Amino acid sequence: MAIENALMTFPMAFPLVSLFAVTLILLPLVGVICCFLMPRISRTLGLFTSFANVISVAGLGWQILEHDSYRHAVGGWGAPLGIELYADGLSLLMLATTAIVGLAISVYSTAYFKPAAGVRFWPIWLCLLTALNTLFLSEDIFNLYVTLELLSLSAVALTALTGSKEALSGAMRYLLASLLASLSYLLGVVLLYHSFGSVDISILTQQMQAPSATLATATPAVWAALGLMGAGLMLKTAIFPLHFWLPPAHGSAPAPVSALLSALVIKASFYILLRLWFTLFEPLVDSQAINSLLGLLGCTAILWGSVQAIRQTRLKLLIAYSTVAQIGYLFLIFPLAPNMGSLAWNGVAYLIISHALAKSAMFLCAGNLLRFGGHDRIADLDRVVQRLPLTAAAFALAGVSIMGIPPSGGFIGKWLLLEASMNQGRWDLVAVIVIGGLLAAVYIFKVIGYTFIPAKVTHEAHAVSARMQWSALLLAIGAVLLGFLSLPVLSLLNISDATITSGVGL
Amino acid sequence: MNRNRLLLVVLLPLLLTLAAGLGYAVLSLPEQPQYLQKLVMDNMAESGVSHPVTAVLLNFRAYDTLLEMMVLLLALLAVWSFDMTDPKHKTAPNQVLDTLTRLLTPLLILVTAYLLWVGAHAPGGAFQAGSVLAASAVLLSLAGWRLSNKLTALPLRIVLVAGPGVFIIISALTMLLEGQLLKYPVAQAGLYIVILETFATLSIGATLAALFLGVRPGKTDKDKGGKHK
Repeated sequence: MAIENALMTFPMAFPLVSLFAVTLILLPLVGVICCFLMPRISRTLGLFTSFANVISVAGLGWQILEHDSYRHAVGGWGAPLGIELYADGLSLLMLATTAIVGLAISVYSTAYFKPAAGVRFWPIWLCLLTALNTLFLSEDIFNLYVTLELLSLSAVALTALTGSKEALSGAMRYLLASLLASLSYLLGVVLLYHSFGSVDISILTQQMQAPSATLATATPAVWAALGLMGAGLMLKTAIFPLHFWLPPAHGSAPAPVSALLSALVIKASFYILLRLWFTLFEPLVDSQAINSLLGLLGCTAILWGSVQAIRQTRLKLLIAYSTVAQIGYLFLIFPLAPNMGSLAWNGVAYLIISHALAKSAMFLCAGNLLRFGGHDRIADLDRVVQRLPLTAAAFALAGVSIMGIPPSGGFIGKWLLLEASMNQGRWDLVAVIVIGGLLAAVYIFKVIGYTFIPAKVTHEAHAVSARMQWSALLLAIGAVLLGFLSLPVLSLLNISDATITSGVGL
Repeated sequence: MNRNRLLLVVLLPLLLTLAAGLGYAVLSLPEQPQYLQKLVMDNMAESGVSHPVTAVLLNFRAYDTLLEMMVLLLALLAVWSFDMTDPKHKTAPNQVLDTLTRLLTPLLILVTAYLLWVGAHAPGGAFQAGSVLAASAVLLSLAGWRLSNKLTALPLRIVLVAGPGVFIIISALTMLLEGQLLKYPVAQAGLYIVILETFATLSIGATLAALFLGVRPGKTDKDKGGKHK
């Protein structure tokens, strides 16, 4: 605060870190407006915005590494009157993942969308980027609700982009589930605001952890808020059994959109859940019962999602069910974190990033195969290995990370989770993680197997542009390379306010 | 049928329990702590307006309002992306409707301006004013008025993004001048808010009317349109 006060006396001067953080918010907004006003050059504008976004995140990362976690009081008021922005290691990792995956998908989309469809795609995708950036920078539960609204609406609009019957019904189901989740979250915000008179996460956390005589913490209203916000965010994250909307939406959207939804959108609601769970709700959920329940849902999701993925005959649905399974791993943090803080956190953070890279690569591959053969039936992939080698390689490499084979990012994440489970003697979780990896191998090799053999009925092949193939391949390579970068990535995660994550022993 | 009955037997008690639980939670709510309201009142002098709701929406929590403006624009982008065609048949406007519209439109625009202005010190403001403006545009379009083709391309789009656009410009400007996003200089706070609200009113009115019509202008040669004037 002292620095900020000093700054207020010197107009025109502000720390570099603020410049980068504010750019992350305003840049995609300007992109949306420009795309809307100049639809003819929306493709160039979209690509430029995604690229500039990567640079801003890099700048923010550089500043956070130098100066530690970052706060910005919007409007100069500060909480509780105003809104505060907050960025630490976790938000930086999410922002970086968003920027990198977003850039690759932007490059892919320049070739994927025909001009008429592109005009509709770019402004909505930049809205989605705005939503993600603002969400990862927010420290205010009502502001988070607004970003969630922006996120869900743009995700639904992108799902419906093709206008086909499947896409529209998938998008409609997604919209209804998402609206219900938003309202449930909002009701929780109202209850918390009424109980504590603030919507700022750090203030709420302080009040929850140090109950005063006037403010009781474990009231029915706070419990109801926990239930409502938790359920809403879980519905948005599509954890079993709330995943019913995910396969139709992710399976019927255009390939780059499916990649965005699976890689980034569901992670955003999970990020909020993570933040709330281990800060302001921490005193409530210390009891093992709720955390065990969430862990159980995670385990069921891993097994159910994987088995469903194996049963699919269409590639995009297989990848969508694989997402259902991979979300399960993220929920293992809830039973593990209270005792095995940093191991479980590191593992889950690693899985979030590597899944984002690998799953977006997979969906982009599916888009290539759809473009190539005009269908995505797994049994008719017809020697793709020889005819579309880059895409086949990208799918296999992404598969390596999804299965969790060394040296990929997925391996590091699962290994850290295994270690946390073993240290805690949770052999049931160990078993589920291992079985989940084996099941993933089954559905990945099912696809790879069919890429080698000729199909009974051959289809006319259409050319797939090099840009589309290379962006998928680079994402997949990134997912594997992540396996070598564990030290720098995990050291980022340690940057945070001591007060925020004291509960999990980071 | 059987499945429906099963759902009823399982779901109904579940929902009732949930509702009862929520009801209990709401009824057991403690007295709301008043210090935030007090904080708002203490800072009213620096907010540039004298109505607390406007102060919260356009000063203390203006960042939320910026994002909400984008949500509105996004809704329009989403609707336009469906590429609908105008289902309405061209009919000659009814005499009564036509006369009534001619009488009401100036009045509605006047009400819009009043609501916008009054927002500084009483209930009102950009969203209310914008809704009234949109209502007048909807009324005009129902009476068969259409925006000329020359206005449906760039000029309409500029009106639609004026609100969020000016908001973004002011955000960037305050960042450069004051070093903090949306921190207005205290002496000019009132002016900033009036500028924001005026453009927001225009955009909200145009966006709501365009959402009502649903069809992207310029899609078919002479359908769609219907905005002020």
